[in-house]
Amino acid sequence: MTMSNAYIDDFPAEAKLVRTAFYSSFLALALGGVFGIIQTLHRTGYYRFIDSADYYTVLTAHGVFLVISFTIFFLVGVFTWAITTSLDRGVEDLRFSWGWYGLMATGITLSGVAILAGFTDATDISASVLFTFYAPLQAHPMFYLGLVLFVVGTWLAGADWFRSWWAWKQENPDSRIPLPTFMVLTTMLMWYIATLGVAAAILLFLLPWSLGLVDSVNPLLTRTLFWFFGHPVVYFWLMPAYMMWYVLLPKVSGGKLFSDPLARVVFVLFLILSVPTGIHHQYLDPGIAEGFKFIAMTNTMFLLLPSLLTAFTVVASMEHGARQRGGEGYFGWLTALPWRDPVFTGMALAGLMFAAAGFSGMINAGMNINYLVHNTFWVVGHFHLTVGTAVALTFMAVTYWFLPQITGRALWSRSVALGQVVLWFVGMTFMSNAMHRGGLLGVPRRTAEPQYDGFEFEAAVGSMGELQAQIALGGILLTLSLVLFFANVFGTALNGRSDELPANEYAGTLSGPEDAPLVLDNLKLWTAIAVVLVIFAYTFPLLSIVDRGGLFGPDINPLPVSLETVHLLAFVLESHVTGTLESIAWLGVNR
Amino acid sequence: MNVHTYEKVWLIGAMVLIVGFIVTITYGSVGLGIAMVDDSEETIEPSELDEDERFADPRVEQVGENEYEAYVVAQTFIFQPDPIEVPAGSEVTFYVTSPDVIHSFSIVGTNVNTMVIPGEVAAMTVEFDEPGEYGVVCNEYCGSGHHTMEGELHVVPDEEFDMTELSVEADDEVETGDEATIEVEVENRMLEALETTVALEIGDETLEEDVTIDGGEAETTTFTIDSADLGEGDHDWTVTVDDYEDSGTLTVADELEEDDDE
Repeated sequence: MTMSNAYIDDFPAEAKLVRTAFYSSFLALALGGVFGIIQTLHRTGYYRFIDSADYYTVLTAHGVFLVISFTIFFLVGVFTWAITTSLDRGVEDLRFSWGWYGLMATGITLSGVAILAGFTDATDISASVLFTFYAPLQAHPMFYLGLVLFVVGTWLAGADWFRSWWAWKQENPDSRIPLPTFMVLTTMLMWYIATLGVAAAILLFLLPWSLGLVDSVNPLLTRTLFWFFGHPVVYFWLMPAYMMWYVLLPKVSGGKLFSDPLARVVFVLFLILSVPTGIHHQYLDPGIAEGFKFIAMTNTMFLLLPSLLTAFTVVASMEHGARQRGGEGYFGWLTALPWRDPVFTGMALAGLMFAAAGFSGMINAGMNINYLVHNTFWVVGHFHLTVGTAVALTFMAVTYWFLPQITGRALWSRSVALGQVVLWFVGMTFMSNAMHRGGLLGVPRRTAEPQYDGFEFEAAVGSMGELQAQIALGGILLTLSLVLFFANVFGTALNGRSDELPANEYAGTLSGPEDAPLVLDNLKLWTAIAVVLVIFAYTFPLLSIVDRGGLFGPDINPLPVSLETVHLLAFVLESHVTGTLESIAWLGVNR
Repeated sequence: MNVHTYEKVWLIGAMVLIVGFIVTITYGSVGLGIAMVDDSEETIEPSELDEDERFADPRVEQVGENEYEAYVVAQTFIFQPDPIEVPAGSEVTFYVTSPDVIHSFSIVGTNVNTMVIPGEVAAMTVEFDEPGEYGVVCNEYCGSGHHTMEGELHVVPDEEFDMTELSVEADDEVETGDEATIEVEVENRMLEALETTVALEIGDETLEEDVTIDGGEAETTTFTIDSADLGEGDHDWTVTVDDYEDSGTLTVADELEEDDDE
């Protein structure tokens, strides 16, 4: 019936699943984007129409919707595509697949509702605890429960992909694991290990505590368990982007992947090193010995290796593509790349920004220089380059490749798409550069109003006003870019079915799996090494934290973050003036 | 495994870079002595800070010739003490804790930056060479008033720095002919002795007394004034010790008002 060989033609049922996951991801992107621009204008002082106390609800929503729902729904879509395409078989049981999707969707809806309820007085449900939900800040139980369901959904998704691989292996006992499948499996193994931390934090401590089953928690313990998960989660966002740089970017550049073996090495390194690094987010935490911080620092530094290798492989693959297209010279080949293709340009610009992010990341990782930038706006600049550009821009760019594959409709407008990816790059250049510079002046992150009564931030070059202007301008350009993105998503959905779609293919390799030692495919071995490293990096810190502060911590009182507490906090402030601490206990009693 | 020559070179370069980073960081810690906030401090019960010897009264203490300790409490949404005052050219160890949620204690524009976690005490030793004024911010979200949480750190010139505390107890009113007393307690919280002059100005008179107060001690100077010399009426007085000042009013009346209760 149809002439094309797109994904939807080969796997119509799976295409629907991938499509649904992508649309869920885009919904989160839209919400996150709206909250993003509200925040940008509020923080910079250009336009404030919300109360500063509500800023933190906005910030929680911006963070959770973008780094949990946008990224991870996109990931499950990409990974489902990667498994089915590279193994050339549909999912084993569609009902199971829809089951994990449903669980994820239910979970994020519960968490999302708990967060958004923070805007209204009609209910005392709220969860303005930010993405890190550090106790004793306390969210409504629905927030934690939703996160648990969402994560369990991703676990089942991983089980689904492993099931496909096992079924495939029965039929292909002597074949190498296809590269995209290898990437999915190693990423999921990393994710299983990583999420144990957040699962323990929520199920053992935070959820029972929010339900009133236990009186107290150890804030340092739950925080450490959060970062056990909180660092590897950034690689969970990043790995689908890496996969796209390895399997799609060489293809759209017009060539082949430079090296399959080194791509496998990179993913194995991420599996091994992603988790035992989380303590590098706690360089400034009292109660953790310097030695443990040092171990996390060295592991983090070695984690630069897979990213540096990726930089080589991706650029080499692009160069190969350019030379196939007639490019010549040391740098002349750059002009032969398909710069008018939004899929290519978006990914290339995302990669470029990721290189910049690598440099600021190296500074963050340096445990003593970290003191200068920790929790400043610098860090916000850093992760708007990583997850906000390397990941988000790659996702948006590959969406222009995926949309025809999963909808069967031609892309609405390639020129709008090209404008969109360039606009994102320009907007983020303004915004993240100013954020980095602001951080160096000591401007804190996570604040509604970085304007203080007692002192001013002093810029050696430029001024605070100029930085604020750049951030606001960047935020506006990014918002415009999102509008263009959604125009294309809707425009494409409204197009008619096309019979002339590109085939569902990913890049071949110059140096193929036959060059990769068999041991690279030994997932049990790499998992075992990863577990050993995690035990090595975490056993003693966790034991020490429990030994110091107890499993359920000292006698602390929860600080439920809801609108109601705004009124309570007025009393707290008042009583602080008299210098008493009783108000804190009072808060606890009246929650 | 088949690895391209260029890629091998790149791989070696990357490893050299990584090891180089680790070496420089290690040198910063060991060679330059840039210490991390660590687990050297005992844990503390956050609900009992008001009974703690260090944190019940947040303050700066002198512990050595040029060494000071600052006991700081960070809580929603203030820092105590505020401002924190230390002399230039000194070495100050900050001990910071929280009775409620996680905060930070961050001196703007410097690398003095720590998380403040209830139950834990963060300790950091810092050298302040030059006088200056710094902002202190909380850079960890701590609730709806987080953005208002700020403090100040004043590094004052060494010669202008003291830890003198002045408190005055004075009669409010006396009957003409009676003697009025004004008791001036001067506490010297520095380690070395303080030589200074306690001065009282009242009416046209100025009374002065030189005092020497040993480190960590307090001295009380009592001024006795004959009210007859002052005459009937309200008399403003001012007590001055170095830069510190306290003032009040003494009323001299022919007949003290009867207390209605009697």
